[in-house]
Parts: sequence; structure tokens; C-alpha cells
Amino acid sequence: MEILTNMAQGFSFVLGWQPILFIVLGVIMGILAGAMPGLSPSMGVALLVPFTYSMSPTLALILLVSIYIAANYGGSITAVTINAPGTPSAVVTSFDGYPLTKQNKPGMGLGVSLVSSTIGGFIGTIILILFSVQLAKVAVKFHPAEYFALAIFGLTTVATLGGRNWIKAFIAAMFGLLINTIGIDPISGVSRFTFGSVHLYDGFSLIPALIGLFALSEVFKQIDEQNFKSKKVELEKTQWPTLLDYWKLKLTIVRSSIMGTLIGIFPGAGATIASFISYDIAKRTSKEPEKFGHGSLEGVAAAEAANSSSVGGALVPLLTLGIPGSASTAVLIGALMIHDLTPGPQLFNNNPEIIYGLFASLLIANIVLLVLGLFGSRLWVKVTAVPKKILYPMIFTVSIIGSFAVRYSFFDIAACLGFGVFGWILRRYNYPVAPIVLGIVLGNIAETNFRRAVMMGDYTIFFTRPVSLILLVLALVSFAWPILRNKIYSKKEFSKLKSR
Amino acid sequence: MKKTFAILLLTLLIFASCKKSNDKFSFPEKPITIIVYTGPGGLIDVTARKFADVASKYTEATFVVENKPGSGGIVAMKRLLQLPADGYTLFASTKSNISKIVSSGGEAYIEGIDWAAMMMADPECIITHKKQKVNTWEDLIADAKIKDGNQLWLGPANGGLDHVTALKIWDEAGIEAKWIPFKSGGKARAALLGEQGVAYVGNPREVLGNDDLQIAAVSSLDRLAQFPDVPTFNEFGINNLDNEFMWRGFVLKKGTLPEIKKWYDELFVKVNNDPEWREYWERGGIDVVYKGSEEFTKIVHNDKEQFTHYLHKIGIINTEATNLIARFATGKALNFLIIISVLIFLIIGIFVNRSPKRKYLSRIMLPIFFIMLSIIFFIISFSFPSNEKVGPSVIPRLWIFILIPLNIYLLFNILRQKKEIVQERGNTKIIFRFIGLLILYLLSIFYFGYFISSFVFLLVGIYLLEYRKYLTMLLISAGWLLFSYLIFYKLLYVPRPVGKLIEMIF
Repeated sequence: MEILTNMAQGFSFVLGWQPILFIVLGVIMGILAGAMPGLSPSMGVALLVPFTYSMSPTLALILLVSIYIAANYGGSITAVTINAPGTPSAVVTSFDGYPLTKQNKPGMGLGVSLVSSTIGGFIGTIILILFSVQLAKVAVKFHPAEYFALAIFGLTTVATLGGRNWIKAFIAAMFGLLINTIGIDPISGVSRFTFGSVHLYDGFSLIPALIGLFALSEVFKQIDEQNFKSKKVELEKTQWPTLLDYWKLKLTIVRSSIMGTLIGIFPGAGATIASFISYDIAKRTSKEPEKFGHGSLEGVAAAEAANSSSVGGALVPLLTLGIPGSASTAVLIGALMIHDLTPGPQLFNNNPEIIYGLFASLLIANIVLLVLGLFGSRLWVKVTAVPKKILYPMIFTVSIIGSFAVRYSFFDIAACLGFGVFGWILRRYNYPVAPIVLGIVLGNIAETNFRRAVMMGDYTIFFTRPVSLILLVLALVSFAWPILRNKIYSKKEFSKLKSR
Repeated sequence: MKKTFAILLLTLLIFASCKKSNDKFSFPEKPITIIVYTGPGGLIDVTARKFADVASKYTEATFVVENKPGSGGIVAMKRLLQLPADGYTLFASTKSNISKIVSSGGEAYIEGIDWAAMMMADPECIITHKKQKVNTWEDLIADAKIKDGNQLWLGPANGGLDHVTALKIWDEAGIEAKWIPFKSGGKARAALLGEQGVAYVGNPREVLGNDDLQIAAVSSLDRLAQFPDVPTFNEFGINNLDNEFMWRGFVLKKGTLPEIKKWYDELFVKVNNDPEWREYWERGGIDVVYKGSEEFTKIVHNDKEQFTHYLHKIGIINTEATNLIARFATGKALNFLIIISVLIFLIIGIFVNRSPKRKYLSRIMLPIFFIMLSIIFFIISFSFPSNEKVGPSVIPRLWIFILIPLNIYLLFNILRQKKEIVQERGNTKIIFRFIGLLILYLLSIFYFGYFISSFVFLLVGIYLLEYRKYLTMLLISAGWLLFSYLIFYKLLYVPRPVGKLIEMIF
């Protein structure tokens, strides 16, 4: 009951013209930042933080979390329309979203991604409001051994991603993991594989690699194949998902949202891993797994629900412990600090208006996102109608700002171009590039936690802790199963061919 | 034409002479940039912005905070040293920069920087979890003796200030323990709350907001006013730990005019005495203190020696290459190794191109590329220090050992393949032209900045793709740039690359 009165108070702080205006503004900025290849949610928030220093703390937070939420959705727009995921977590959305566009059904991908995003965001927020204190207690107990097991479990999704090309998918993942070790070793502090260059001290940043491997390599591929025909999009004829389509996705959305929230809670895990894992699970539990990768609505829903719900999860450790669960929440801490607020359990007692105002604005932001997104989708569809000969050079210009913005460095632009050419070569010979991104995202988590766990105990620690053991066994099963199934499947097909 | 030129020249001359005759000192004449070596939102970022805010009470000057993250501050310090010593660039520095300078062998930075003002000293302290059994200094010592080297201390990265402080504490107290480094102090604090270790080294401010955390001992001569219940190290009879602190301050490039330095000194003193400034920081137990250039430089040199000592001790500063293979992986031998590898790669390429497997050239060369990359990385990994149970070379080698067999298997499969492959499709020529254009574009951005280069690039790019409606091309290029200017810079404040030449003019 107490929570209801608190929430009612929270809403009373937010339901004024000024907070609502900030939410709308934040959602618009977030969608744009997310859609731009290279601006991840955390960067979108970081770029705006300095301008919130002069606002009241509540308004500043409202603006920033609205951006954060909307940016998580925004990434899917370019993922669906031009196969250039705007954010790392939208990589998974492109697996099925872009095929839908290719089949001349961009509306289906955009519609499902929007609705799953907002429902995911809603569920994440509800879990945050109801269970944050209990969940935080579990999160801090999560041992490095378990983080390592989670990362390994995440890596096994490569087996699903690769399909018949699983060897190439694994090579790509291992390549991602290997280049992730470039830079200062996070545990011992020595520099590795930097070839004496200052630019490599932090390794390759994820964002330029992401833009290069997806957006640029896609453009190179299209130019190479001389695919310049744009589809005539007639707005009236664009197919949008029906209510029945959404209803069929209910289980996938709810399950992925809960997964996304839970994975988001663990500091450092985050939206990208959440979307990979819940896509994997959706595919395994689906009645039509063969559709995944070829425009499955379930695939889009799983990815988007998971990455949007992880926002709620990431806020759990921030609000209850004062510890950032993601890059974006790390930026939010700075925003709180400049206003003399110390995030942590005492914030609930000392400044309830901020906490419950924040909760209320999260809920409202999701509704605003749904409304604006529905209008916006009509516009995004038109992107597919832009003449390709004009669109492709434009993608380059945007990619360059995106990769520059990460560290204000020319090196990153060059790295982005390099990844673009390399990604194009790989795709030409059927190496999937998504596992590289997964490798870069997971490499650090896997390595540091593996070494940390061994430092804290010894090698047996991974098998003596029950959670870690269970995750590792699950990982083994989920790794072996798709490959075995593929073997069986192709043998069957082979014998079918013979019998014909 | 000549006339216009002459007039132009004349005006310029007049302008120039005006500046000279107006020799009276006036600083600042334009906004001052404060370089912050992290992204927005970090503590040093907040420091810089708070400073700009408070300083505006005492001066007309405008301060612009510029974030230049990367390599723990090396990128930002490099930037400071590249710019002229005209006083228009201030750098917000912390003690962590010294650790970074020492570990990356960049001592030149220390000499190139004018350590203008230390503004605050944030004492180091041991933080423990109230609900754990071991939570006071006495408990820690007793527990460490029982665990005999296996007591776990949590904190941020190896070789940083907090780690070095822990090493000193262990030395002084005569105990042994293990340092478990986390990606950030926050993550380590989470692990402490999860009872994964017994102690965390950080600053007093970090216990604020969380009732479960307490400070076991703080490095200070006397008890802190904000934390009167917290004992100092000397209360436990440990005398050499009274002065361990994280400093934050502002520095300039060496060679800044004395007049400008004087202007800054006065400003620093005023800000230091400002009640708002003092209150904001003192609440977190931070000692708001002003140390001028002379004293600050001494502190910096002292820090440098300390870090050098401890970083050697824990093996972060690479001592001599210890084995034969390691010698191949450092310095000139490494360049040699890379050149040899490229040559081998090319020779294999030529060989395959002349063999019957010619059609598979690219398919074969990709796995070979991965294998050779793995081998280079493998050889380099011998140069990493390996004095830990799982050293820095373990995980990269693990990936390498998976990568190589996978590629050999793939290669084997390709070579075994009998069936004809589909001829490669596509128009590769245009791709190479495009890549060439992109490289030019990149160079152009470097010199002329983003907008001019992008405009030209869009026109040429669209032309290359054989689009020929010129008016549309012009309109679209201009319109797109205007759109991106409004959205990205005016609405989202995305930084844009400014060209070197443009920077020189303005």
C-alpha cells in the first residue's frame, strides 16, 4: 500500500506541463540519438548531461532517463530499415528486422519493435518499482565465477546464430574475443598488443567497430552487388502488424522482458547480452525456429523487449546501492552528483520525490514513446524509399560523426572504415559479423571475471558454486544442441535427396 | 583586383599593428577551455564544471569544458601539450594521471606540464561492510593473519592509487592480502556489499548514502571533521600513512606567460576561499586546500617516485624481456616480425594464385589471415609478465588456441571441396574507388573539418554511383548537412571533428 501512495505522489510531481514537456523532448532526442549509428544510449545521455547541470535535479533526471529509454528503442529503426543497428543492442533486432524490410514489409518490423520496446520498458519499470531492494541484494552476491559463466552462456548463442555456418560464426566470435584483448589489461594493468600506439591503449571501441561491421559493410556489399533499386513505398499499402499479430507475441515479449530486466540488473552485463540471450531462447522455444533470421516477428520482439526492459534492471543497482549497472547509469550518477544527491538507499528516505518522480516518469516516457513512435514509424518507412545512390553516401557521413563522437578521435574514424572493409570481405565469404560484436562485448566480461574468480579462489570455483555450475552446464547444452541438430538435419536432408 | 588585394593587406596590417600597440596585458580575450580526461559525469568532470561555475563569480572569463577521454588521460595530456602555451587551455588533473604517466613511460608529460594548482586532497581510507564480522581495523589485521595472504581486498584497477595505497597499508601493518581489481570503484563496492571480500580502498565520500558501509581507518593526521567517529591510521600506531590522498587540481602547459599565471593564481585562491566551493566538497570529507605551483610540483615528483617504486614491484612496468621468444615480441624485433608475416602471407597468396586452387584464393586466404594473426599475437603474448596465477597472457592464448584449429579445419574443408563454386559476383572496382574516396574524405576531414569535406564527399560519392541529376545532388547534399547540423549539434550536442587548418584560422 505504501508503494501506491508513494507512486501517487511520484505522479503528482511529474504530471505538470514542464515535466511532460521534458519527457517528450527527451523521447524525441533519444529516438534520434538511438537511430543514429554510433550514438549508443549511454553516449546520448552523456552528451546531454552537461546541459542538465543547471536544471532542477528532478527535471534533469526525467530528461536523461527519457533519452535513455527512447535511445534503446531508436537503435532498432535503422537496424530494421537499412541494416545499420544504431546501438549495440539493436544488432539482434537487425537479424529479423532487416529481412522483413527486404521482403517489403518494413512496417511489420518497425511496428513489432516499437510495441515490444514499450511493453518491455513497462515491465522492466514495474519490476524495478516492486522488487528493486530484493533484487539488489541478489545482484551484489553475484560472484565473478557466475559472471564468467553468464558470459560463456552468452557466447554459446553463436551456435544458434551461425546455423550451418557455425564454424565461420565461431571464428568470427573468437576474432572478436581476441581483438578485445588489445589494450591495457584490466586486471594486471600491463599493455597488450598495443604495438606501442597510444590509440590502442583502450583497445578498439565497440561503437566504431559496430558501425563498420554493420552499416559500412552493408553499404559496401550493396554497392558491390549493384543493388540500387529502391522499393516504391506507398504508405497506404504498407503492411502494419495487426492486434492479432501482437497477441501471438505475448509470451515472447513477456518472457524476454523479464529476462532483459534480470540480466540488466547485474552491473556490467547490460542490454546487448540480454538481447542476444533472449533471442537465443526465443528461437529454441519457438514453434517456427526456421523462420528466425528470415524475418521472424518473434525474433524482433524478443530482441527489442529484452534490450528495452534492461533499462529498468540497470536502474536497480543505481538507485538501491548507488552503483551503476551500465554505462548509461554511470553517467546518471554524475548528473545526480552535481545536484548534491548521493545515489543509494538513503536517497529513498531523503529524497523520495526524486525516486518516485523518476519511477513515474519512466512509465510515462514509455507511453510517450509508444505514441511518438507510432507517428514516427510512418516516417521511418520512407527511409526505405530514398534512392540508394543518395542514401549510401549519406550513411558514410553519419557513420563518421558517430565513430568520432565516442572519444573525439580520428583514429576511431579510421578504425571504423577498416572494420567496414574487413566486414565486407567477411560477409562476401559468408562469415557472419554479429558474432564479432558479441565477442567484443563479452570478451572483457569473460576474461576479467575468469581471472578475478581464480584470484579469489582457484580453478575449481566455477564448479563448486551452484549457480555458476548450472550456467556452465546450460551453456554446454545450448552450445552442443544446435550443432548436433544441424548435423542430424543435414543428414536427413541428404538421405532425402538420395532417395529422390 | 590588385586594388582590393592591397586594401585587404592594408587592413590586415592595421589590425596587426593595433594588436601590437595595445601591448597592455589583457587576459582572457576569448573563452578558456578546461580539458577533462574522462567522459561527462565523472568526478573530475563535476570538479571542472563546478570550478567553472564558481569562478564565474570572480571573473568575466567564460570557461568551456571539453571532454577528451581515452587511455587514462594520456590522450588529453597529449592534447594539452600540442596546443600553444597561451593560457587558454586548462587541464583538470588528478593523481591517477601520474600513475598512468609512469606506467606508460611518459615521464616527458610531467616535465612538459606546469603544475599550477592543487585544489583538493581527498584522503584515502579503508571501507568495510558493517554486517560482516570483519569490519574494524583490528578485525582486519587479525583476520589477515589467520587467512595468511588469502584475505581479499577489493578496489579499482591494478596499479592505480587505491591499489598502491593498499600495498603501502599492507607493508606498514605487516600483513599480506590479495588485491582483486574491478573495472571501477563502484563495481568493487558492489562486491563488498555482496560480501565477496572484506575491505575496499577508496575515499570517505564513497560511504555516503549507504548505511551498510563504514570506514575502518582513514589516512589523515587528525580525525576528519565530517567523520568524527572514524579513526585515523596513527591511532593504531601506524605512522607512515598520514598523508595518502587523491589530489585534484588544474594544470597548464609549461611556458605560459608569468602574467597569465598570476591571473590564474589569484583566481584559484579566490575559488579556494569561496564558501560554496568549500561546502560542496567538504561534505564528502575532502580537504579543500590550495597548493601553488612550487609545492604542487614537489608533490607530483614525490608521487612519481612512489608509483615507479610500486609499479615495478607488482610488475606493471615491464622490466627486461625474460625469455628468448619475448625478445622477438618487443621493439624493433616486433616490426621485423610483422614485416616477415606480411611477406609470408603474400607469398602464400601468390603460391595459391598459381595453383589449381586459384578459384578459392580469397576463401583460402581468410583462414590463413586468422591463423597468422593468431601466431603474431601468440608470440607477442610471451612478453607479458607472468607473476600471477592467471597472468595477462592466459585468456588471449585461450582464444588463439581455439581460433587456430577452427581455421585449420575450415581450410582443410575448402581444400577438400570438389564441387564447383559459383563465380564471384559483383563490381569490385567501384568498391576500391569508393574506399579510395573514403580515405581522401578522412584526410580532408582532418584538415578542413567535417562540413566542407562532407559536402564534397556527398557530391563525389553520389556521382561515383552514377547518379546524374546535378541539381538534386546539390540540394540533397546541402539539405542533409543542414539537417545533421541542426539535429546532431544543435539538439544532441554531438561533437564534430574540426579540421586542423580551420582550427588554426579561428
